[in-house]
Amino acid sequence: MSTIELEARSIVKRYGPLVANDRIDLSVLRGQVHAVMGENGAGKSTLMSILYGMQAPDSGQILLRGAEMRYRSALDAIGAGMGMVHQAFKLFNSLTVWENVVYGMEPTRFGFIDRREAAKRVATLAERYSLRVDPNAVVGQLSVGVRQRVEILKALYRDARVLILDEPTAVLTPQERDGLFDIIRNLTADDRTILFVTHKLHEVMAITDRVTVLRDGKVVDRMVTSETSAREIIRAMTGRAVNLTVEKRPAEPGAVVLEARGLTVATDGGKPVVDHVDLSIRAGEIVGIAGVAGNGQTELIEALTGLRVPDGGTVSIQGTEVTALDVERHRDAGLAYIPEDRATTGTALAASAADNLAMGFQRKPPLSNGRLLDASAMTTHAKRLIERFGVKIGSEQLAVGTLSGGNLQKVVVARELSHAAPLLIAEQPTRGVDVGAIEFIHGQLVAERDRGSAVLLISAELTEILALSDRVLVMFDGRILAELPAAEADEETLGLLMAGRVRDAHLDGTEAA
Amino acid sequence: MSERSVRTLRFPRIPAVPLAIGIGILIGGLLVLASGGDPIAAYREILVGALAPSNWPNTLNWAVPLVGMTLVAALPLRGGMVNLGGDGQLVIGGLVAAMAALYLPLPGPLLIAASILCAMVASGLYASLAAWGETRFGIPMLISTLLLSYPAIGIASYLVGFPLRDMATGLAQTRMIPDAARLPTISGPLNIGLILMIVVAIAVVFYDRRTVGGYELRMRGLNAKFAGYGGVRLASQQMRVMFASGAIAGLVGAILVLGSLYRYQDGALLTPGYTWSGLMAALLAGGAPLGAIAAGLFFAGLQTGGFAMQRETAIPRVLTMILQSVIILFLAIRHGVGRKSS
Amino acid sequence: MSLMSFITPSLVNSAVQSITPILLAALAGTLCGRVGVFNMAMEGQLLVGAFAAVVGSYATGSALGGVLFAIVFTVLFSLILAYGATVFKGDSVVICIGMNLLAAGLTAYLLRQMFGVSGTFSDPGIVGLTKIRIDAINTIPWIGWIFSRQTAITWLAWILTAAVTIMMFRTPLGLRLRGVGEDASAAGTMGIDVTRYRVLTVLFAGGLTGLGGAQLSLGTVSIFSEDMSAGRGWIAVVAVMLGRNHPLWAALACVLFGVADALSVRLQSQGLPNQLTDIVPYVVTLLALALSHRKRLKRRAAETITAHA
Repeated sequence: MSTIELEARSIVKRYGPLVANDRIDLSVLRGQVHAVMGENGAGKSTLMSILYGMQAPDSGQILLRGAEMRYRSALDAIGAGMGMVHQAFKLFNSLTVWENVVYGMEPTRFGFIDRREAAKRVATLAERYSLRVDPNAVVGQLSVGVRQRVEILKALYRDARVLILDEPTAVLTPQERDGLFDIIRNLTADDRTILFVTHKLHEVMAITDRVTVLRDGKVVDRMVTSETSAREIIRAMTGRAVNLTVEKRPAEPGAVVLEARGLTVATDGGKPVVDHVDLSIRAGEIVGIAGVAGNGQTELIEALTGLRVPDGGTVSIQGTEVTALDVERHRDAGLAYIPEDRATTGTALAASAADNLAMGFQRKPPLSNGRLLDASAMTTHAKRLIERFGVKIGSEQLAVGTLSGGNLQKVVVARELSHAAPLLIAEQPTRGVDVGAIEFIHGQLVAERDRGSAVLLISAELTEILALSDRVLVMFDGRILAELPAAEADEETLGLLMAGRVRDAHLDGTEAA
Repeated sequence: MSERSVRTLRFPRIPAVPLAIGIGILIGGLLVLASGGDPIAAYREILVGALAPSNWPNTLNWAVPLVGMTLVAALPLRGGMVNLGGDGQLVIGGLVAAMAALYLPLPGPLLIAASILCAMVASGLYASLAAWGETRFGIPMLISTLLLSYPAIGIASYLVGFPLRDMATGLAQTRMIPDAARLPTISGPLNIGLILMIVVAIAVVFYDRRTVGGYELRMRGLNAKFAGYGGVRLASQQMRVMFASGAIAGLVGAILVLGSLYRYQDGALLTPGYTWSGLMAALLAGGAPLGAIAAGLFFAGLQTGGFAMQRETAIPRVLTMILQSVIILFLAIRHGVGRKSS
Repeated sequence: MSLMSFITPSLVNSAVQSITPILLAALAGTLCGRVGVFNMAMEGQLLVGAFAAVVGSYATGSALGGVLFAIVFTVLFSLILAYGATVFKGDSVVICIGMNLLAAGLTAYLLRQMFGVSGTFSDPGIVGLTKIRIDAINTIPWIGWIFSRQTAITWLAWILTAAVTIMMFRTPLGLRLRGVGEDASAAGTMGIDVTRYRVLTVLFAGGLTGLGGAQLSLGTVSIFSEDMSAGRGWIAVVAVMLGRNHPLWAALACVLFGVADALSVRLQSQGLPNQLTDIVPYVVTLLALALSHRKRLKRRAAETITAHA
């Protein structure tokens, strides 16, 4: 019979006027996989950091195996048997696997670190739970899936009985995800408990035993996975029934807008990170590039947008060759670009919305005459965009740093879309964005396509690629491995291709583009 | 991390500055007491020395180079770039101005204009050298501007000590510049350098607020990646801004040589410490031109007052330097002055 | 005139001596950089240490007293950076510039108020550091020139450099410090008190620089003069950068500068004016930076330095 392993009673946490956790009760049974679900901003991260001792709640209690816990820091929580694998890995990239795992609890000999003992302990632990990893490898050179195993090892090294996994599958291929699920089953067989924080429904349905749904800082529903459905969970998360698919007409592609031939980006010695890529995007179509992060997508986009000079090959926008030219010329040739990181690249957080929305327009009328700015034109321009795209902000003069993820992304999308450019490159356009804004942005991308723009979409979310794309390209190891029309693309095929397994994907007759 | 968590943005808040000044005064006062002086007398003399109407010409005259060097630091800082080479650029400007004044065969006003122009171009080019060092070699300007300063000072010192020296006097200095090259005076120690500096200050503020270039510079300062992604040409912007920064330093040097000293003297441009005070004023305001100018004026008053204080009481005027440092340390620590906000 | 005639025993000996303050300052800067605190206040710290050493030596009548004063007061002075850049999250560049200026002003002020002089203070009451003479090797070329007749601080400087290197790469403390510097939030999730490690490291580094300051004022001639640090702190900053926060590489950079400096002194005695020879180390540094900055290094240095600028 399962006992209650971890309990949270009436947890409250405020950040100024914002109540991140509003009297949350959570009850997790030992040996189970318990999902904590909710949209971005629902309060999941705050709750987890409280359970892991990184923050103290304003009020409420935490009970571990019936005993009340008062954590002064993560160290206390670790000592009590809590472990956490963060969404953004907390690893030291320049250090080896064993250095990362034993960090803070190093085995010593005469005051020096006992390296051999440390590597041995790590290897033994890895073997026991079938976590294939080399203790002496440098973490920075490992793939994402392996790095996640290192994170799990860290927790196991400290004998974590309760393991919190925060959005663990965000960066994994479907096959790696299945591998993770096997590891999870191993752990629960060993009577350890898993807290699975995610917003991905199909995974919750696949691996979890119970679900607790959060919305706006409160618990809105508790379910037993086997007795509920995806639709019910979504309704609980958003408070309404949400259409998961995007309505769109079939595409009618026109002239070629973006053309890349033999595009290559080298690294210092060794394999190029972008390896002779050929690409053609036509007006009126959405082309999606699927691929696990780290296969050259970032560098490909940098080369296409002018943020980086490619080492080989050519790029043309609307017939104009822009290969070695800077960003300004790319934009003049017809490029608009939604970057993957809205906070570090897409906006200046300390600047006002008006300033942010003006970027890219500042050299032309009506915002300026080339030299002098027209302040009132800037304000009008900003107001118009804020209204049209529904950005929730008090005034266009306020700094955008206070906006939520979804709203900030709307600022970026609003600006880039208002260029009405022939070519739009959208990189991870809905990452970290709430469901309502996701719907909106998807609608905008399709509208762009229908207006006659060429849209290049890069996303790690397969569902997004599948929902929006007219054609799907798969990028692996710096090359475009395959090209599929939307009708032939499904999760399993794409997943295999993303892992480089062309043969297994049974693409008879379809050559790599 | 929840995206909706309140982000505190660090801006220098106006109420913080009076507090910082108060702390500075307090600590300075304690220091004076500890060394047997009278703090009240000290501060009184500072105020009188700076603000008494009969002393305004002196204060303003001191303010011209100080605010100038403040702008030298503030302009690049607005764009997130650091120019620590003000000393070297100042010296080059002064020496070139002296040389032009002595050797160009031009009549009166033309001679002045030409000397100033040569000084600004020379210093501007030297400052751009550091910008080139970053774009071409990846040497951070924080380091290269500082390192370039020393050779400039050393070579100027050598030149004025040997080949260019006025052999009639026994000192390391050039001959006196001809009367035609001297800046016309306004009253007392004030010359048209004051007018020139006011024009430059207005130009910088105008540039920052009303022009496309100013907008792009400000955006770069807030997030350089964003500016580059938005189409701003970062490398050429860096060269242009550093050239302008150096040119202003050159102007300061020219004003000092042509307006006050009437010759280039080894070390004379550096001893007053305009560069570092100007840097601190610029840092205080985060590069924002109006705030920087205000801070520069404040420091100028403080230092002029310090001279008076040293004359009237026995307290060394380096006390004002201590006050300045305490103020900026307080603001940096308590109010995040200088932090990149994004 | 051959190269060998440039190299005299006294040249080598004084080169080793003059490197000492820079070496200690660079070691301090390296430690701070390793834990993620950008320290460019070494110029001011050396000055504080030098002044405190003179005051201490004068007051206690012993060089050891001077050294202790130097360490204590430089550590106190370093509290500004230690807490300012960590607990208070101030910008280290601004704090360091402020500290440098505060040090210059404070030492000048105290020089006048305590000793009644300005510019330079020299007095028979200041006891300098004794040079340790090792008779056995004193006359051996090169070894004698380098190792004999050096102060205890010079010995300490090199011993500490080695000790810190070993600590950093072989002990648990070193591993934790490296982790804190690489990713403080990751270290925090492993239960490490990041702030405490940073504060203590900066203070320890302050002690090292204080030691360097003592060597500066008591090591060769026993005087204090305003702006005595004369750019050495900045050279240490560059050494740290060139050495990419590695104690041994930074030490190598210091040796490079010491050689350049000794060379300039030698050139001076050949008749070249000192204004030109003084700038040799800076020119050498600039060239070294230009040469060493290929693509990889460029990104690294830009991240660490300009990220703070």
